[in-house]
Parts: sequence; structure tokens; C-alpha cells
Amino acid sequence: MLLVLTEEHREHLSMLPQVEPSVVGEFGRIALEFLRRGTSPKIYEGAARKLGVSVEAVQQGVEGLMFLLMESSKHTISEVDFMDSVLILGFGEELNQVLLQLYQDNKVQIRRILSQLIPSQPAFHQLEWRLDVQLASRSLRQRLVPTVTMRLMLSESEEGQRSTRVLQTDPSTLLHLISTLEAALAAVKTSHSRRILRNIK
Amino acid sequence: MELSESVQKGLQSLGDQTVLDRCSFPVVVDACFRSLLFSRGDPAVLDLPELKHLDKILLKQIHAAATTFILEAVKHNADKSTISFSLEELTFNTERIETFYTTFQKHKKDLELILSSIGRGPAHIKDVSWRLQYQMKNGQLDKVNEPFYLISLSTETGGASEDVDFSCTAEQLQDLVGKLKDAAKSVEKASQ
Repeated sequence: MLLVLTEEHREHLSMLPQVEPSVVGEFGRIALEFLRRGTSPKIYEGAARKLGVSVEAVQQGVEGLMFLLMESSKHTISEVDFMDSVLILGFGEELNQVLLQLYQDNKVQIRRILSQLIPSQPAFHQLEWRLDVQLASRSLRQRLVPTVTMRLMLSESEEGQRSTRVLQTDPSTLLHLISTLEAALAAVKTSHSRRILRNIK
Repeated sequence: MELSESVQKGLQSLGDQTVLDRCSFPVVVDACFRSLLFSRGDPAVLDLPELKHLDKILLKQIHAAATTFILEAVKHNADKSTISFSLEELTFNTERIETFYTTFQKHKKDLELILSSIGRGPAHIKDVSWRLQYQMKNGQLDKVNEPFYLISLSTETGGASEDVDFSCTAEQLQDLVGKLKDAAKSVEKASQ
């Protein structure tokens, strides 16, 4: 699929051919740093001074580049499609190659960064267990109750804030849990699931 | 079993044939067990027509002493000889000991169940439910195309139930099941 770039976007990117391809590479690096850590206006000022252009032009160029890379990674467009989309901008061959290289080198990383923006549910991290036997309590002095105590660690979000739950179960429920979850694992291997996983790409 | 003075006095009245005749004794014993198991603190459990002729205060003392004795016996898992010995010391005759012990045996399991539910512990897992989902696309990324599981553990703490929900990939679920199987294997080994 081709990317559709708005007028405004094309305008922002139009300052890129005016500088050297190595500078475009530098802009690309800055764009990625910004995607990872957030923008910092000081860098814009420094670059503007070095190149002799206005701060706004630098900012628009970098942001335009960021948006281009983000959209391309979001849709994981192929090389051909990327080149076709960029061709519309009317840049030179060398610039196009630089942009393509930027895209290909950083596609995976950008996707990972974008996935941090998705609302996430607590995800499984680890499970530790131990076998306990209750021998007595304040109300009953002679008991023999085996229990399995578990510590379930979940990560609340991509940054890794962990939440820990201490849970307990008895041996028969444990066997029931195992058989139910094994059925769950088998569900992804059925022909129905395989057909869907194969066809929705 | 060690019993306090008031409990001993109450039990002596229970065993005393001048206080409770042959017909009233089993009724009182029954009422005591029923008040532990079913009545949930209802004071009317002792308001029985057969016991109308007894002094109310004395009846309450007997009831308190008898219920304490019953709970102590269940707590320490007392056997027949211990109970018989304690009751004999308190001047129970053989017939009354028999009646008491038979009723005790009948209700022992239920009393144990009630006593075992007293106490705190971590949330107890009762059940698990799962859902297999396939993520195609989201607000930030197209073509995600990954299957994942949503697991929900239903747990209970002291009557209140709570669900622990989390998502995991197939590999993580495999890991989880592996660990649970290890736990089950060690339970089996320990029981041999």
C-alpha cells in the first residue's frame, strides 16, 4: 500500500533535498532518538545554527521524517511501496536510498516503541510455587492439609512495573487447572485456528 | 483436656440427675450441638417446651459449659477414652456418657469443617477460565497478527471472590503449565 502524504507534510519534507544526504542521515538519527526519548528543542537550535537555516525548518524536517518513518513502520509497507511513496516527493535517487535505508534499519525498533502506546493488560511474567502442609491452627490442633502456595508476577505495562499476587490452591484444583490450561494450549493447534492464522495476514 | 472451673461446674449440672432428668438430658445435648452448627447465635435455641421447667440461668450455664467442652474436644481431636474420662470425673453416669459420645461422633466432621474455616490465608484459587484471541491491528500498529491468551483465575478470600486477569502468549502459557505440572509432580512424590 502506498502512503498518502498531505500537502503540509510534503512541505515539511521539502527542506531535506536542500541539505546533504549525510545531514539527512543525521536528521534520521535525531528523529529516532526523539521517538525513543521525546523531543528536545536545543538540538533543533544547534542544527539550525550549523546549517544556516531557520529553527522551524529544521523542526519541520525532523518531525516530517519522524512521521514518515512511523507511518511506514505502522503499516510495514514493502520496499517497493516505500520507494513509490517517496518518489512523489520528487527527491533525488540518493536521498531516496538514504530514506529507504533509515526505514529498513529501524522498522522493528519503531514498531516496538509504538507498541508501548497501546493500552495493555497485565501480562504474565513469572510463577513460583511451593508445597505447604498445614499441621495446626488456633482452632484445630491436629490437621494435615496439603496446599500449593504460588507467587504470580505480572507486569502491568511495557515499562515493567511488576505486581505480585500470592495465591493458594489445593492439589485437586491444581490438577483441574493443569488440564484446563492444556486444553487451552491445544486450542491454538486446531485446524480452525490454523486456518485463521494462515489466512489473516 | 483442661477445663476451667465454670465449665466444670456447668458440666456437673449437666450430668447431675437431680437437675436434668432422663428425658431432658438428650434434649439439652441436642440443643447444644444445634446451637453450634445451625443456629448462628440465635438465642431461641434453648427455648424448647421440654426445658420450660428448668431455671433459665442454670440452663444458660449448662449450655455455655457444654459448648465449650464440645469445641475443646473437636479442637484436640479427643478420642473416646479422653472424653469418657473427663465426663466420668464430672460424675456423668455411663448412659449419659454414651448418649453424649454418640451425638458427638455424629456431628464431629461438621464441627471440624466450621473450625477449619476460621483463619486467614492467601487468596484460594477456585477455577480458571481462558480465551484465545488473535490480535490483528491496533491504534498504533497495523498487521500485528499474533495470537494471545486471556486467562482469568477466580479466587476466594474469606467469602469474598476476586478475579485475577492477565494475558500471555502461547510460550508463556506453556511455561506456566510446565511449572504447574512440576508442582503437581512434587505433590505426588510427597504423598508416596
